[in-house]
Amino acid sequence: MSISSIGAQSQLIMKQLVQMRAQFDDLQRQLGSGRKSATYAGLGIDRGVTVSLNSQLSAIKSYDDTIQNVMARINLMNTALGNMIDISSQVKAAMVQANGVSNGSGAEVAQQTGLNSLDQLLALLNARAGDRYLFSGRATDTPPVETLDHILNGNGSRAGLKQLISERNQADLGADGRGRLTIGSGGPNIVQIDEQATTFGFKLGSITTNVTGATTLGPTGSPASLSIDFSAAVLNPGQTVTVRLNLPDGTTENLTLTATADSSPGANEFTIGATPGQTASNFQTALTTSIERLGASALTAASAVAASNEFFNADAGNPPQRVGGAPPFFAATNLVAGTTANTVIWYTGESGSDPARSTAMARIDQSLSVSYGARANEEAIRNLVQNVATLAAVTISPTNPNGVALSSELDQRIAVNIGNTGLQTISDIETDLASAQTSLQAAKGRHQQAYATLSDFLQQIDGVSNEDVGAQLLTLQTRMQASLQITSMLYQTSLVNYI
Amino acid sequence: MSLTQALSSALSGLQVNQAGIALVAANVANADTPGYTRKVMDQVATGTSTSIGVRVSDIQREIDLYIQRQLRIENAGASYADTRARMYSQLQEIYGQPGSDTSLEAVYNGFTTALQVLSTSPDDPGARTGVINSAQLLAQQLNQLSSSIQSQRANAELAISDAVNKANEAMKQIASLNQQIAASTPGDAATAALLDNRDAYIDQLSQLMDINVISSDRNQVTIFTNSGTQLVGSQAAQLSFDAVGTMTPQSQWNADPALRGVGTITLIPPAGTPVDLIQNRAIRSGTIAAYLQMRDQDLVQAQTQIDALAAAMAQALSNKAVTSTPVNPAPQAGFDIDTAGLLAGNTITINYTDTATNTPHTITLVRVDDPGALPLPDTATATANDIVFGIDFSGGMASVITQINAALAGTGMTASNPGGTTLEILDDGAANTVNVDGVSGVATETSLSGGISQFPLFTDGTAPYTGAITATGSQLTGLAARIAVNPLVAADPSNLIVYQPGTPAGDSTRPDFIYQQLTAAAQTFSPTSGIGTVTAPFIGSIPTYLRQFISQQGEAASSANNLKQGQDVVLNSLQQRFNRASGVNVDEEMANLLTLQNSYAANARVLSAVKDMLDTLVQM
Repeated sequence: MSISSIGAQSQLIMKQLVQMRAQFDDLQRQLGSGRKSATYAGLGIDRGVTVSLNSQLSAIKSYDDTIQNVMARINLMNTALGNMIDISSQVKAAMVQANGVSNGSGAEVAQQTGLNSLDQLLALLNARAGDRYLFSGRATDTPPVETLDHILNGNGSRAGLKQLISERNQADLGADGRGRLTIGSGGPNIVQIDEQATTFGFKLGSITTNVTGATTLGPTGSPASLSIDFSAAVLNPGQTVTVRLNLPDGTTENLTLTATADSSPGANEFTIGATPGQTASNFQTALTTSIERLGASALTAASAVAASNEFFNADAGNPPQRVGGAPPFFAATNLVAGTTANTVIWYTGESGSDPARSTAMARIDQSLSVSYGARANEEAIRNLVQNVATLAAVTISPTNPNGVALSSELDQRIAVNIGNTGLQTISDIETDLASAQTSLQAAKGRHQQAYATLSDFLQQIDGVSNEDVGAQLLTLQTRMQASLQITSMLYQTSLVNYI
Repeated sequence: MSLTQALSSALSGLQVNQAGIALVAANVANADTPGYTRKVMDQVATGTSTSIGVRVSDIQREIDLYIQRQLRIENAGASYADTRARMYSQLQEIYGQPGSDTSLEAVYNGFTTALQVLSTSPDDPGARTGVINSAQLLAQQLNQLSSSIQSQRANAELAISDAVNKANEAMKQIASLNQQIAASTPGDAATAALLDNRDAYIDQLSQLMDINVISSDRNQVTIFTNSGTQLVGSQAAQLSFDAVGTMTPQSQWNADPALRGVGTITLIPPAGTPVDLIQNRAIRSGTIAAYLQMRDQDLVQAQTQIDALAAAMAQALSNKAVTSTPVNPAPQAGFDIDTAGLLAGNTITINYTDTATNTPHTITLVRVDDPGALPLPDTATATANDIVFGIDFSGGMASVITQINAALAGTGMTASNPGGTTLEILDDGAANTVNVDGVSGVATETSLSGGISQFPLFTDGTAPYTGAITATGSQLTGLAARIAVNPLVAADPSNLIVYQPGTPAGDSTRPDFIYQQLTAAAQTFSPTSGIGTVTAPFIGSIPTYLRQFISQQGEAASSANNLKQGQDVVLNSLQQRFNRASGVNVDEEMANLLTLQNSYAANARVLSAVKDMLDTLVQM
């Protein structure tokens, strides 16, 4: 600043003083706000960088919020899955225990275990994070599973599991309880078993015997039939005839009848007759009794498992397969697709052909997403629910003469089937989620570091150092004081004052 | 008698000294009067056969004409720079404080954050409303920005009006002073005062616009614009400005009065035909030029930038690709594309190769519904190096095919309509001078749940934004003022999720798409916004574009301010030099006063001596 003289220049002097004052005010603003400038113009060449930095910082903040949110969800899911695994082992243990009990109370205990476990499982599957259902796939606003009551007992005109089991039971056993097999004479000295033209009931596997001279035939034809011819047979007690039967749930039963000389044969025994004709007749009677007993135990259990499989292996797009025809279903021949109007669909969430994990994706970085979705009808979860529900749905009357056998057959099947999907276990889901969690943790760490670095950078461009501004203020103050003093001196040192 | 001679000489000396003291008094009194130049007195000896005396020959203004001329030029430059810096600093205010919650970038970031939340929790009604609210905030911010820019333009319009009035007043005064000066005696104090007065008005005029001052005989001046049009001679011309009352983004200056939406400055000479000074680019500096620059260029560009931002936001979410299918009616080959979904402003792009030179070319066909808009310039699309043809769809497919064939003439390609609304583009078959490499289209999705992620989240008022071009302009102009969140989406935020009937609540497909499009997807931005060039348009994501134009505005404001500071320094130093020559230095005046006092005392002493001598003579 140059002050040459007083006069017309006084306005220039004033202007410069005013400018200094403005500078002073701006420094004061910087000190107060901690920001270098109130406009982009004042930020200098890096002003564009601040826009990018703010945008990146904002993105990191929102990614972090997402991570926190998703972490909470995954933790809840893990807890639920952990509990499911516990339930799975409890039920398995209970089945093994109940197997040894030889009276009706074992069945009751097992069924109670089934009910309780199913109740817990459904509650776990309906777990929510906030208002979000975690096991519904994309339909996060819908509970993934129906209520216990609806699943077991149906809902109005919509059939539940119990009804499906009962229908299937009728269809599998037939009116005579012989598993849709016709046992009769296939000629002199011949006992023949015929399948009926139906998908239900026992299916003939094979017939074998070690009786000398007896000839077995079949199974042949469709529907299949098999027979045994005692015409040339020379029987000795202890010799056996074995009929292998396939059950609806894919299991097989070997029905072995042992020849005995005793005129009142025990279970699964037939009396050797005086003639081949008598032997055949005795064999037919014993076979019929045994098949009826097997129908009331193993076939009933297998039928329930099969019905339950149909019931649970379904969603709104593919309703369960049900027994065709009208009640009673003793003569039913095939399965038909149910409808959502006549059958309860246990899984009410979203189902799609894509992997369940991909139903929930969280973007946790510019180019990184984690998948953490789950559906209650995923193989592993469905398997558990299905088996526990089967256990709960089959009612075994204490007065049922075959009750203990049925209970035992059912328990065996459930003990074997739980966790045996061959495809996926609940632990697999946990593993998927754990890897998502690992990605989340790693991203969080990266974000913390990036946030700190970017904030620092922004501070360098946009921020001010208090020491710096303070020092500038002091310098400016000194300069202003000096200027004012000199200006005042100049005004005083006019010749006017000396003449 | 020589004593009498001495008496009269001393008397004339007393008179001249008195006049000198009067002049010192006038100078001191006017020391701080703006425009006052220091007056000095010239005195000459007078001699008759009987006596020698002294008299005031004339009163001169102390003035350096060269500096005065420079000063006037810099005056115009300084007020131009000052006005622009002031307006730019106002413009900076509207973008908000960097990093503050109200800045445009923060509002945009708030919107993308809300989208990220929605993407994580698509089923959450709070997250959905959050997106709608922040989208509305963003739309309102753009509306607000647009209205601020337009009100600044309106202010500039008013300021031009004021400046024109001031210029008219100054020109009238200069003309009238010219006449008075012509009538007055050169060299007397009154004339000097008139000259001062006239200089003050010329200075005033030089702040408003750049002028050329030509002096002529008898202290007359003639003032021209720098383009040579006379403003003031013995008579003043009249400037007229037809200011408009309301300023919208569509209000633009145009040489055609029918299309002009803002005021223009017309020079009405005392005789002759009026001249449009804006059309002639006659005003290049000074306050008026600064306001014109802001009104017609800088603020228009600021508006175009936010319009482009608004358009990018709308189109990023609603533009869907229309695919073509290859067809091969040997020996020809080409593509079929359905034109049914095209709206006005939507495009079909034909990429072909000239096999002779193996050069790829691009032709863009733009659907136009108003034939008045045709033909379209190649800059109608942001794409670089494409040839643009507007195709009027109002006449049906037959007319469309005719127009396209006219557009394709010379390329070797042909267009036909194999049926329905299908357009078939084929090469020339056996001649093989051209190959059709691809045909693709871009259409605006108007449905909220058409089975695809695209949907019109942002609309132009309530209508979809398609970029339609009509005879009156492009839909782009002023979009920022009208952009809104689609009222149907605002009324039912579930549309943010449901892209087809039955979309589950937790499906993040659409939120992911919106987020991706608004944060990362690259778009081509038209160079009209001052970012990028015609041959290399700016291609980037919306946040990068935001960064670019905020940065560009900051840079422009900063350089306007730097220019102002530079001009201030130049003007100040010139002013100082001018003042040193023409200003009153009180010390100097006091020194003169002392001299005059001494001289007066000496003359008085002579008088007294003559009196004594005469007394002696009488007493003898």
